[in-house]
Amino acid sequence: MYGDLVNKLVLEAKRAQQLNESSKSEHLPMYQDDLVRNTLREIEQLKRDAELLKSQQELNQVEDKVARCQHFVTLLCMERNKRGLLAYQKLRSDTLDAMAWNKHGLDSVTALAAGEGADASLSHQEEEYLKDYTQIIADMKSGEFTDIDLSGSLTPPSDVFIDVRVLKDAGEIQTEYGVFNLIKDSQFFARQADVERLIQQGFLQRL
Amino acid sequence: MSYYDIDDILADSTKVPCKFNCSVPGLGYLEGNAGHPIKKDSKAELPLWLARILAIIGAETVENEEEELPFVELMVPDLFSSRVLNAIKSSPTSLDVHSLSAHFYELAIKWATLFSDRRLVNVLNTMMIERAQEVNNHALSIPADSAPALQSGTFLLTLDEFEKRIFRDSHTSYKDMKSWMLRK
Repeated sequence: MYGDLVNKLVLEAKRAQQLNESSKSEHLPMYQDDLVRNTLREIEQLKRDAELLKSQQELNQVEDKVARCQHFVTLLCMERNKRGLLAYQKLRSDTLDAMAWNKHGLDSVTALAAGEGADASLSHQEEEYLKDYTQIIADMKSGEFTDIDLSGSLTPPSDVFIDVRVLKDAGEIQTEYGVFNLIKDSQFFARQADVERLIQQGFLQRL
Repeated sequence: MSYYDIDDILADSTKVPCKFNCSVPGLGYLEGNAGHPIKKDSKAELPLWLARILAIIGAETVENEEEELPFVELMVPDLFSSRVLNAIKSSPTSLDVHSLSAHFYELAIKWATLFSDRRLVNVLNTMMIERAQEVNNHALSIPADSAPALQSGTFLLTLDEFEKRIFRDSHTSYKDMKSWMLRK
């Protein structure tokens, strides 16, 4: 019956949620375009039903009790579908927000396209949303709080200097504090604040 | 229990047995045969999101106020039958809650709110406390360094979604605490 389709969508969302929790990283599965579209079609049909019922009710006002029940059930089904769709979308946008905070905003905000691994699995609107949200974060960081790196690491700093090992060859990298020559498997003793970004990006590994 | 809560939405889709108090044409699809009217006194399994509202709003309202019947009458589902409640009372920890329903607690809360069922709430309170102790025991036992599999036995398979979340949270906090104590 109505509402079964959207249930599938919610189950999908649940699975994605569990996946994120277990792997502790943001990962978005494919956008369920078909399911969403079918649910929308179902809502469309329910809407047509509701309108039909309404016009019938106006024609003969005798069966008000019965019509009310039918009308109500139709509305409830729509409500249910809406809730499922919204919850699915909310979960995805939460993941996108987390992505925007963790991955982008690194260094001088690198071009969006480069950092995006999951681009193909986003719907068009979500891409748009991600872009805008990143922009909002960037705006906020360049506004009042320029001297705090809001998207920086949330683990409290405990050491001033740390040992890091280079995981990927990247050649010479210019950071705000100086130049590092990143050769694979070489090791540095560097200020934590300098290399934090590079660790987040996965070039360095903390020892 | 927010609007966007995935678990809440899934719990809402559980079917509960209902009896219709009036016949309604055009709602046959609820019973599985579309196109036919649904008869008075016929029984159908409705998802909770539908049944909950239909059990509250009435068919007759203003004209004869003395018998304000709701559209459907909810019947006690197997989940909260006295058989299950007795099993809970006898030994909460050995009960397989997951096989009853994956969202047992959430459903129970909804049910108890709907009927102001004091007895059910009492039973659930003791059940929850007893099981929470067991959950805590299992969450506390951290396998020796970085063993991924949780070999806490069969008890963890009997947790429902809500308890699983509690278990996961407390387990990670114990684990983080331990790793912080050891490494730093």
